[in-house]
Amino acid sequence: MLLSEQEARALTEKLLGYVKAGDAVVNVGSEKYSHLRFAANGFTTSGARENTTVGVTVWIDKRRGSSSTNEIDDQSLRAAVDQAHDLARISPVDREYLPALGAQAYKPVGGYAEATANISLQARARAINDVIANCEKAGVIGAGFHQARGIAAASATKNGNFAYERSSLVSLSTTARTPDGGSSGYFLRNHFDVGKLDVRKVSREAIRKALESRRPRTLEPGVYPAILEPQAVADLFSNFAFSFDARSADEGRSPFSLPGGKTKVGQKIFDERLNVYSDPWHPELPGTQATQSGIPAQRVQLVRNGVLENLVYSRFWAGQKEKEPTPGPVNSIMQSSVSPVSVDDMIKSTDRGILLGRFWYVRGVDPRIALLTGLTRDGIWYIENGKIQYPVTNFRFNQSLMQLLAPGNVEMIGMPERVGSAEAQGGSSSLLPALKVKEFHFTSASEAV
Amino acid sequence: MTTSRRDFIKTASLAAGTVAVSSSLPSWMSNVDAAEAAAAASVDKNALADIALSTARKLGVSYADIRINRYRTEQVSTREKQVQNVSRSQNFGFGVRVLFKGTWGFASSREVTPEEVRRITRQAVDIARANSVYQRKRITLVPAPKVVASWKSGFEKDPFEVPIDDKIQFLLKLNERALKTSGVSFVNSSMGFVNEQKFYASTDGSRIDQYIIRANPNFTVTAVNRANGDFQSRNALGGPQGLGYEYMEKYPWMAEAEQAGEEAVAKLKAKPVEPGKYDLILHPSHLWLTIHESVGHPTELDRSLWWEADYAGTSFLTRDKIGKLQFASKMVNFVADRTQPGALATVGFDDEGVPAQRWHLIKDGLFVDWQTTRDLALMSPQKKSYGCLHADSWGSVSFPRMPNVSLQPSAGNTTMNDLVAGVEKGILIYGDGSFSIDQQRYNFQFGGQTFWEIKNGKVGGMLRDVAYQSRTTDFWNSCDGLGGRGSYEIGGSFNDGKGEPGQSNAVSHGCPVARFRNVNVLNTAAK
Repeated sequence: MLLSEQEARALTEKLLGYVKAGDAVVNVGSEKYSHLRFAANGFTTSGARENTTVGVTVWIDKRRGSSSTNEIDDQSLRAAVDQAHDLARISPVDREYLPALGAQAYKPVGGYAEATANISLQARARAINDVIANCEKAGVIGAGFHQARGIAAASATKNGNFAYERSSLVSLSTTARTPDGGSSGYFLRNHFDVGKLDVRKVSREAIRKALESRRPRTLEPGVYPAILEPQAVADLFSNFAFSFDARSADEGRSPFSLPGGKTKVGQKIFDERLNVYSDPWHPELPGTQATQSGIPAQRVQLVRNGVLENLVYSRFWAGQKEKEPTPGPVNSIMQSSVSPVSVDDMIKSTDRGILLGRFWYVRGVDPRIALLTGLTRDGIWYIENGKIQYPVTNFRFNQSLMQLLAPGNVEMIGMPERVGSAEAQGGSSSLLPALKVKEFHFTSASEAV
Repeated sequence: MTTSRRDFIKTASLAAGTVAVSSSLPSWMSNVDAAEAAAAASVDKNALADIALSTARKLGVSYADIRINRYRTEQVSTREKQVQNVSRSQNFGFGVRVLFKGTWGFASSREVTPEEVRRITRQAVDIARANSVYQRKRITLVPAPKVVASWKSGFEKDPFEVPIDDKIQFLLKLNERALKTSGVSFVNSSMGFVNEQKFYASTDGSRIDQYIIRANPNFTVTAVNRANGDFQSRNALGGPQGLGYEYMEKYPWMAEAEQAGEEAVAKLKAKPVEPGKYDLILHPSHLWLTIHESVGHPTELDRSLWWEADYAGTSFLTRDKIGKLQFASKMVNFVADRTQPGALATVGFDDEGVPAQRWHLIKDGLFVDWQTTRDLALMSPQKKSYGCLHADSWGSVSFPRMPNVSLQPSAGNTTMNDLVAGVEKGILIYGDGSFSIDQQRYNFQFGGQTFWEIKNGKVGGMLRDVAYQSRTTDFWNSCDGLGGRGSYEIGGSFNDGKGEPGQSNAVSHGCPVARFRNVNVLNTAAK
């Protein structure tokens, strides 16, 4: 069972009671997690985990020590607190030390659903059986992953703060492959509420993409106009709002840095319709009530109409630069300031281009321009004269994110959808739109399916 | 630096894991501190195992196992002249895995008591039962021998017994050495250690204790040119190892940090590479990662069976290619080895009681075998498990993970200079950098840490912005030179991700320096 607020408070009070140091933060997290995995149209692994962990950080004369454990009997808790003290005593002074926060007021974000945390084993088995049955009916081989998690997290400081919050997440991904291995489709969605996870849509879209990408043709790599579905955008920009770090920009090692120790704040770096922000209380994508060090989360605007409006200051860096610490981000939202365009309308408006559904193995190459490399995967199509003409084989790309969103490269922007990066397996979520861009850089062909 | 690095690796390879057959608590348990010893003594693992296995049997399973594991970690992180983090963590719990009507079920908990073991075992069976209603094809295990044993990895100095202050001073001194070079702006350094104390029991009658230590030191030196906004980093070449604190003491970390500072600054002024075809000389500090991605992963049998299709992907190595596909040139031999001293994936037994083994995956360039587990082995030609099952926690489901996969050195004494001498136009690459490979492991792109121009058989100045792209079998068939045993080193990954939910695996790849002909090189900074 997840810890109730009362239980969590009692645990943090017990931990703080053992603390002799002048300053301390304690964290308690309890988790209930389960998953069901399937492949080759059969169930493979399925499991459950229940865990509770506590973490203790103390400062003795600005010297910091941390320890954590998942053994929560009195003796083990006391041992964990003692260990944090022992580590603090032998550590040098923490030059970035700031006193832990006193009492704060939080506004709940509503990101927890009881039905998700206590998912029914039988209902899940039936739902996944339906996905497999749909695959069998369509003559494709299905694989996928369903997971559900409930978390109760609390933190408290010696200076009098206490916060408790529950959250939940459920996700389903499905990959459908034709038996000859010649084509593949993928779809992923997640939500905090299991009642809002559209299982049928996930399997339907994965199967459709596999069937519609049969017999692909090979195109020459190069620079193409491209339409990126929300999943593809998520594979590049998942958690984008978390990359606007002020310190690395000030230190000259970020794509938001300028020569001479300056930053690009105030400059139009992206298309003028693009906005990037974090909103803890977005109903479709609730964030968390607290951000760094327990500061109550607020809406944070990072990019407004293409202009870099804010970078994110930690408490320490804000102090160094005489700024306020940033009350976020706690989630990541990219949105157009004009009416969104559907993917169908983007296709209709395209003379020549590529439709992209997913990227894979995306890794940084050059952090100065946020250059990424990776591959297309599970469905890619050639568009001409406003219509999808045929599926094509996969590409490797080398693409700068700064260039991708730059003024002049973005043609159309869709309605933001709740999507998660495929590499994060649905465990992360953002609200991201489809994008139509003038140039996308494919550097070599990939025969992988 | 390279010579002393090599000397270290050779010395480290002499340390060997030991296997002792015993049914009592292992003797090294006396090494753990008093609190842990008390906790360990209060838990009778054999009695808990009896409860789990008898409960599972009564509920009709065909197989069950229980793992009761403790994980200890320690992390010290610094930047420039300050300490950023000193932390220790403990994680203890158990997981029960059952096979019911050919369907897996698993459940786990942090509460290690007889009542909880009973409840969790029933939950594991409930999960398997709920899913078995819809199971299409029953899972069958190949047999494994009954084993009663204890095993300890081959470390010399337990890092958890080394004072934290020594570690802090070590890293701050390392930072100082890296910052010696004018133009170095930042240095981040860390060392992390992991101790796994694992107990396994199964309905086959096996009872196994294992005690494993791994070390994960790292640093990054960054030079920033504030005038033009350019910045370049140079990461450590010495990676994680299946060793104890002796790794910190014997490897030339200080000299490497100083060299890294010089090289980070030099990278700012290095000549941009001209894209095109080059011969490549790949140092083991770089080549291990190419082996990991292009040889380690495609030879996983679960990928070939499409069991990983939804995430990591499948493999271009389909089962019909066994014994037929010339994966690499004839001089190339890859050996999978869970017994390799000093390597990260080295164990006494895997997580279903199968003894660690050594076998060929690629022999004389030919693709000959897979990495297997008990539930997949019947679908492989040998129909045996090579002991590749692993879980990263008591709370994770065990599933197929990569053993150490290493490229064998040539028989002679070939050196890096010998290989360079045969290159007219080429690049020498040290260190692992950016990496990306497709989901069937055909097409890859790798960067590195430092790049050196080779002209007419000689190593010249530094290059920058280098990455190479190739196709796995083209690349390995273009290998026409391998260093001898003297150039062999072990690299590795502390956190190789795979599976759903994602799990981490530590794995090493040994290799000599090697030469590859006519590989496509990109300039990553080209607009």
